[in-house]
Amino acid sequence: MRSVIVPRVLSAIPVLFVVSVVTFLLMWLVPGDVASQIAGPDASAAELAAIRERLGLDRSIFEQALIWYGNLFKGDLGQSYVLNRSVVDAVIERLPVTLSLTFLALVLAIVFGFVLGVVAAANHNSWIDQLTMTGALIGLSLPDFWFGLVLIFFFAVELGWFPTGGYVPLAEDPIGWLNAMTLPAMTLALTQMGVIARMVRSSMLEQLGQDYVRTARAKGMPGHVVLFKHALRNALIPVVTLIGIMTGLLLGGAVVIEVVYSLPGVGRLIIGAIQNRDYPIVQGGLLLTAAIFVFVNIAVDILYTFIDPRVRHGKQ
Amino acid sequence: MTIAPRSGHGALLRAAAIAVGVAFAAAPLAAQAQTMGGDFVLAQSANPPSLDAMTSSSESARNINMNIYESLVTIDENVTPIPMLAERIETSEDGLSYVFPLRQGVKFHNGDEMMASDVKASLERYREVGATRGMLDKVKEIEITGDYEVTFHMSEPTPTFIEGFASPRAPAVIIPEEEAAKPANEIEFIGTGPYKFVEFVPDSHVTLARFDEYSARQDHDGPTGFGGKKTPYVDTATYRIIPEAGARIAALEAGEVQWADQIPVPAAKRMMDDPELTVFEARQWAFLTLIMNWQLPPTDNVDFRRAVLHAIDREEVMAIATEGFYDLNHGWQYPGRTYFAGDIGADIYEAPDLEKAREYLDRSGYDGQEFLILTDPNYGEHSRAAVVIADQVSDIGINAVVKQLDWATVLKIRLTDEGWNGWTLMQGLEPFLGPYGIAAKMTGDQPHQRATHPEIDQAYDDLITGATVEERQAAFAELQSLIYDLVPQIKIGDVGRMQAGSASLKGFKPFRAPRVHDIWFE
Amino acid sequence: MASNDVDSVPGTFAPALRELGMQLRKLGAHRSIQIGGILFGAIVLVAIFADLIAPFDPNENNYRAMLAAPGDAHLLGTDAFGRDILSRVIHGTRLSLVVGIIVVIATGVLGTIIGVLTGYVRWLDSPLMRVMDGLMAFPGVLLAIALAAALGPSVVNAAIALTITFMPRTARIVRGSVLVVREMPYVEAARACGAHDRRIVLRHILPNAMPPLIVQLTFVFSVAILAEAVLSFMGVGPPPPTPSLGNIIAEGRSYIREAPWIALAPGVAIAISVLGLNIIGDGLRDSLDPRLRNL
Repeated sequence: MRSVIVPRVLSAIPVLFVVSVVTFLLMWLVPGDVASQIAGPDASAAELAAIRERLGLDRSIFEQALIWYGNLFKGDLGQSYVLNRSVVDAVIERLPVTLSLTFLALVLAIVFGFVLGVVAAANHNSWIDQLTMTGALIGLSLPDFWFGLVLIFFFAVELGWFPTGGYVPLAEDPIGWLNAMTLPAMTLALTQMGVIARMVRSSMLEQLGQDYVRTARAKGMPGHVVLFKHALRNALIPVVTLIGIMTGLLLGGAVVIEVVYSLPGVGRLIIGAIQNRDYPIVQGGLLLTAAIFVFVNIAVDILYTFIDPRVRHGKQ
Repeated sequence: MTIAPRSGHGALLRAAAIAVGVAFAAAPLAAQAQTMGGDFVLAQSANPPSLDAMTSSSESARNINMNIYESLVTIDENVTPIPMLAERIETSEDGLSYVFPLRQGVKFHNGDEMMASDVKASLERYREVGATRGMLDKVKEIEITGDYEVTFHMSEPTPTFIEGFASPRAPAVIIPEEEAAKPANEIEFIGTGPYKFVEFVPDSHVTLARFDEYSARQDHDGPTGFGGKKTPYVDTATYRIIPEAGARIAALEAGEVQWADQIPVPAAKRMMDDPELTVFEARQWAFLTLIMNWQLPPTDNVDFRRAVLHAIDREEVMAIATEGFYDLNHGWQYPGRTYFAGDIGADIYEAPDLEKAREYLDRSGYDGQEFLILTDPNYGEHSRAAVVIADQVSDIGINAVVKQLDWATVLKIRLTDEGWNGWTLMQGLEPFLGPYGIAAKMTGDQPHQRATHPEIDQAYDDLITGATVEERQAAFAELQSLIYDLVPQIKIGDVGRMQAGSASLKGFKPFRAPRVHDIWFE
Repeated sequence: MASNDVDSVPGTFAPALRELGMQLRKLGAHRSIQIGGILFGAIVLVAIFADLIAPFDPNENNYRAMLAAPGDAHLLGTDAFGRDILSRVIHGTRLSLVVGIIVVIATGVLGTIIGVLTGYVRWLDSPLMRVMDGLMAFPGVLLAIALAAALGPSVVNAAIALTITFMPRTARIVRGSVLVVREMPYVEAARACGAHDRRIVLRHILPNAMPPLIVQLTFVFSVAILAEAVLSFMGVGPPPPTPSLGNIIAEGRSYIREAPWIALAPGVAIAISVLGLNIIGDGLRDSLDPRLRNL
């Protein structure tokens, strides 16, 4: 077991190193600076210079990088220039929002994606199949931020069923949380729901054509038992492997959804920091987000090793 | 005045219209019974960069900070300086010292009483970290002359000192001595205002709670400007950060917030018919201006700048940029204010004169270089104005290009001589506070136009050193005629600001920052 | 694919062309490709003939017709500048396609080069793939926004940002094909016959890597259109007054109650383009690369 996990976890290090270098280069490329942002449009040159000196921005990019990496090894991602807190605190503060959004969207996408996929496969080549698959295709072709606006227009503005935006912490008010997250999670889930539905369908169809299913049928096993007991279970495996990638896509997609629904998540934190030139937040935030993505994928990989008998036996 | 400021839309000129800076009764009507309690939720568009009030001159911070903190001197509803934490202001005959006896029994939010040592420490800190610390340049020394008294010793008489010192731009607030020892942005947010800080979750909200030990001034009947007798009624005030206008409106209509800032005009018009909502019109909120870079061709040429000046159809720019809520005003002060300079420039402002514009363009020897108009997407008025101006000046053959970059980049680029010729900017506080801020941006180390001109410098000097109001008015009139001749900036018009609240919100009057005291719910 | 005739003389393209023609005819008969082709073809025609079709200059301001509702004068209404929405959507569609095409070409070329290098040159594999993995670990939208902010708003910079975002996955797919083909007996045979690396790559490896690449690029095209809209929506797309489908939606967002038509039309235009491309992509995958059918 250790032989599977350790090298996989170690493989994350070079990836995260690349991520950190890229974010550094990005910040070096970005014009504008945080000093004029802090001081406002009527600051004098001396004021700006003083702010830059206080933040260490008067040093060369190499010095700044050295200091940053030095602190990173101590587990310190630095202080935000404008938010009056450490980068780690700022990100952790926002994490529940992004994670609840991503998690709910993942659940919605998987549940509805599966239902649609199974329904379509069970009614292969019928109008139900056609309808579901057309729906899935349209779902993954719609721009999600636009779909979010449409949902806000109908369900929040016209009907008033849900709030138009904003976040309610789960611990404070679970019902309010669910209420606030419904539209954002639906919006974010839309694309992946379509992807999963299509994949489940084709995976099921493939399984239904396999010998063991034919045998089961020939032995007189009822159709729904075949469908659920055999075909669906085997169709699960390729879907599970995609959850890692999907989590990454959802984490990325959450950025725009946070903007559309005014949710104070990590994505908006980073976008605000890009706009404010709050470099420590951009660097730390991107690194932490990438780390989450990388480790989710590693976890899925490892999980997969233990789920899929073929892979398991292949390794031994 | 031959040109009367015209309003964009008659429908907007309702009885409810309230012009900022125009006097009205400060005291709430006695007939209305104020009720204690309730939670007031406000929606504003941007995060405060800092709640360390001294360090930030941004509007989003001021909106909150003016309810947490107070300063020795502040402004009343007519933008006239009045004492706030100071009992009164005593000026010496020679203008070389100011004595500020302090009000006694004023409590900080941590329970301590405000003393002269807190005042001195705060103002010394302001000299270090204050965003507009230049206003204390002429103060040679701040002396504690009693437990409840400080005295400023000036290096030279400065007739306009108190006006600068009262500015709410980045206010010189008084904080406890131990906080004043801390560097910028590292303090606990403790002031003397009617509301105390509870929490700040960036991109989400800032919450304030009523400060029950608040001691109000008793020499006024009610609040005025950022001073007077303030009475906190609501239990909490929560500022939600909602950048998107549509989301602010939706939150207001859904009852999630009771007040929202920066309402797009079309939405405000619709809301006027909604009995559940009250629309607050703040006319004369800002000047919309086009700033010229004198260092980079083609705008280094005065005739080219004059060509642009004559080519712009202000009414069209204003109508589109402000979505129809504006006043046309050629002046570099608001009409009716002390320093409003009459007709100077009105003939140029009135209507575009393309013939004259082409004539100036020919004279400038313009050869088709790009005329880069710098703007940002963060303020819709800026980018819309840039787009319309570019379209208009291209009619006389100017190769105008809109260069839209994000706000941080714009703020950096406009401090350089390269990369921009024109810059669309709304100037809110400068004209609000009078002539000095406007004039200061055309002279000194960092003039907006990137170069100084001896005549403009002279006019500015005359303005700040003029001993009498008449002398200063003459200096400002001279400046305004120079602006229409040398074109460091082009005045486009006066921008209004729409705010809206729920109908149950009572006592609210728009001002430079929303005041959460002296409002209550019905 | 059929390129295992190691001895065919370089420079005789006739058979290759004939084969290509046959392939295309076969693809043309595929129902998905027909449907998607019609949808996307219509969009392409609109984009090509934008100047002829658009009833107004997309940047013509008219402050007397601000936020006009759809009607006779303006079929899809006007925006806050009084500009004709239909004309802006038509020109915005053109811009979306231009960005999409630039991204597809750049991604295809870079992805192929890096994919082949990593798949064929062993010592390059590990370092280059780590860089690709690093780029892939970013949430795509955030990386593109940060890049666009760094490079400044313009059509080309948006395309660069999107290329950097999408290229790693494409490189990975090409590398996958190369790794498979590299071990094939006929490649071994070619090598044994003394063929140069360049010839092996061009004659044997690339043709085999093409089908999955083409399928992938169809999806890159559709995702690029979506992502360009996101960038413009977030304010880091092409600068105003250039109409882009994303910035029209962003502008319409403030008027969702008073003028919902502003945001509606560009969203539909994006959806049709992307839907058309996705259907074509499905069809291509079915006929070109049966192995990928389950992905």
